[in-house]
Amino acid sequence: MTALRVALAGNPNVGKTSLFNELTGARHKVGNYAGVTVETRAGAVVARHGPARPITVLDLPGTYSLTPTAEDEAVAFRCLTGAEGQPPDVVALVLDAANLARNLYLAVQLLELGRPLVVALNMMDVAAEAGMPVDPAALSRALGAPVVPTVARTGEGIGRLVEALGSIDHVPQDSSERPPLRARVLADAADPEAPPGTPPVRWRWLVSAAAAGSLDLACPDAGERAALAAIDPATLTAAAHARVIARYREVDAVLAEIGFTAAQRERAPAMSRSAAIDRVLTHRVWGLLIFVLVMATIFSSIFTWAEPIMGAIESLIGWLSEQVTAAFGSGVFTDLLTQGVLAGAGNVLVFVPQIALLFLLLGLLEDSGYMARAAFLVDRLMARVGLHGRAFVPLLSGYACAIPAILGTRTITDPRDRLATILMIPFMSCSARLPIYVLFISALFPAEDRVGPFTVGSLMLVGFYALSTASALAAGAIWKRTVLRGPTPPFVLELPPYRLPRLRNTLLHVYDRTADFVRQAGTVILAMTIVLWVLLSFPRPPEAPAPGRAVPAAVDLQVDPAPASDVAEDMSDGASEHASSDISQEPADDSPIVHSIGGKIGLALEPVLAPMGQDFRMGIAILGSFAAREVMISTLGLVYGIEADDENQTPLREALREAREPDGSRRHTPLKGLAAMIFFVYACQCMSTLAVVRRETRSWRWPLLMFATMSTLAYALAVLVYQVGRALGYT
Amino acid sequence: MAFNLAQLELGARARVTLVGGGGSLALRLLEMGFTPGTVVVLIKRAPFGDPLELQVRGCHVSLRKAEAARIEAVPL
Repeated sequence: MTALRVALAGNPNVGKTSLFNELTGARHKVGNYAGVTVETRAGAVVARHGPARPITVLDLPGTYSLTPTAEDEAVAFRCLTGAEGQPPDVVALVLDAANLARNLYLAVQLLELGRPLVVALNMMDVAAEAGMPVDPAALSRALGAPVVPTVARTGEGIGRLVEALGSIDHVPQDSSERPPLRARVLADAADPEAPPGTPPVRWRWLVSAAAAGSLDLACPDAGERAALAAIDPATLTAAAHARVIARYREVDAVLAEIGFTAAQRERAPAMSRSAAIDRVLTHRVWGLLIFVLVMATIFSSIFTWAEPIMGAIESLIGWLSEQVTAAFGSGVFTDLLTQGVLAGAGNVLVFVPQIALLFLLLGLLEDSGYMARAAFLVDRLMARVGLHGRAFVPLLSGYACAIPAILGTRTITDPRDRLATILMIPFMSCSARLPIYVLFISALFPAEDRVGPFTVGSLMLVGFYALSTASALAAGAIWKRTVLRGPTPPFVLELPPYRLPRLRNTLLHVYDRTADFVRQAGTVILAMTIVLWVLLSFPRPPEAPAPGRAVPAAVDLQVDPAPASDVAEDMSDGASEHASSDISQEPADDSPIVHSIGGKIGLALEPVLAPMGQDFRMGIAILGSFAAREVMISTLGLVYGIEADDENQTPLREALREAREPDGSRRHTPLKGLAAMIFFVYACQCMSTLAVVRRETRSWRWPLLMFATMSTLAYALAVLVYQVGRALGYT
Repeated sequence: MAFNLAQLELGARARVTLVGGGGSLALRLLEMGFTPGTVVVLIKRAPFGDPLELQVRGCHVSLRKAEAARIEAVPL
């Protein structure tokens, strides 16, 4: 027996997710439509709800309307009209009983589309408490569709809903036995004449989509497109507006039929408690204060709370590497496993705690209703740079790490806004850049150099953060005015009633998101780690290094879980290091890494690097930093034949300070260091960022554009700083 | 210039008469319930004066002032 295919539709915030998880026992597959980031989930109704026949449920995006003016609505529209795959046999529509005056608009649209409809009437208790006349039987008569009261949170009424779904017969789309309401909405309002072969219902949707300027989302054929292009835009707009007004007239007719007065239609019973909460949470003083606190919590969670778990993952990978080395002995195969495969797996898994934490917090805040308030509070500030209030959290997260931040942009519904935010995030100075700043500052800028009470180094550090923020905002403004130009997307945001979030729903969401990252972006990160390992390890040096001098053989390509905080305490001792410089001055240009393909690339790049004051050694380090920015330190260490990482920078700092050119001058001057730091402020030296952007934008186009523009900017500004600095007589 | 929802005083009510202009914004506003004849209440302004929180058809919807200005209304 083939399964009955049910599509679950409903407004946002009506308990649709809870109902879906209850129906399917939270076992589902996440699906993405080609080219869009809107997710749909599908699952089978579990046996305990007693389906008479197998039922599969497709959870559509929560939308207020089916007019395809945005990606999420278009996904629902295409699914229900069969433009993408087979249309569902039945639509289960979840209605918020306490908010029928707006929720019924979607019901009217579904009746127009002519799919068999079953209504799950949720949140009856809130409506009843407010004295609203919501009688399921009366609503069922008015709509001409079965209505089942449900309490999605407790699972009450689910059995009856499943029964109603299973017993619905296939109703042909143009049945002569139309319910009275459907007949009325189909007759309402006049459309421009449809081209031959286009059903009238489909035509009215195309007219609305054309009026909204989003015809492409509705997938018209060439004939329909030509017919719409021939119609005057004012006529299209008038027809689309008349259609919406006619639908709401029917909504009002249904409300009157079930006993609503005009006053009850206006009231917002579910909002009475929320309005009291909002007196504090969106208050002009307390609201902003609490907002700052909430954001600080989110930020510190991904910046510091995730650290112990990330450290544990790093230790686990380290332990596994030791086991592999013990089992296979040293050799190329072992190196491939440890420095390629295991380091790559580590580079993927190390992001999981941050991603999971960010999505847990964002999910809880979203479900509680607070995220809409957060967007409401800061929209004025974000609108100045042409962005939506919802872009704030992802941008802030970018200071910790671009990977979770980019994944967090999914809360931004407008694709152009989302893309602009994604392109801005890598400019934010993430925690992996800090060790690089610290290395150069403490190696090349003596702590005694002060401007007033501040050291030159700390002022530079503050400057880099300010520069990165200003650059991100400028980048956003530029992208929004060029490639991503378009009308400012409407803010139009519902402030839903506050509700206690359901931890189970949020955890399921966190799992989906994290698993998707590991599967999709993870494979790319793993592959890139192995490629980098090959570049920096082959060809192998002809002979083993002389005994007695331990030259580290390979670069550690693994992301460090907490590069920023390790280094903060390490910075203060920069000054005292001058005394103990008895480092051997032998040239280290014979270290194995210099002979690798990566080393040769570094040498070949030297003429290009010279204008920004860098040599082939920095070229190799920049190449290595592509694995993750802080890997630059261990790579540069290898070039100098020194074991170094971001936690143990001291020997490398001394080597940088002491290194001399053949003519006896310092190899790493303060100006060269500054140019290198400016390069790292802008360079998109992070393969994981590129892998995630590819995953989120579904193409290599955007990550490549991002890499090209940021690298060009980084190079140009580093050259500018070095050349202007030299012209002014600095070294 | 006709009265519009951006000019509404805090706590005041108005009845929508027209959503001006075309494009996706006008359609979205209508579909969110700002249809002619509907009564709207201004609940709150955000701390920086924009956006606005409006009650319409039993929901609280936030609109930027520029968007609310597209909705003509008569004060009640």
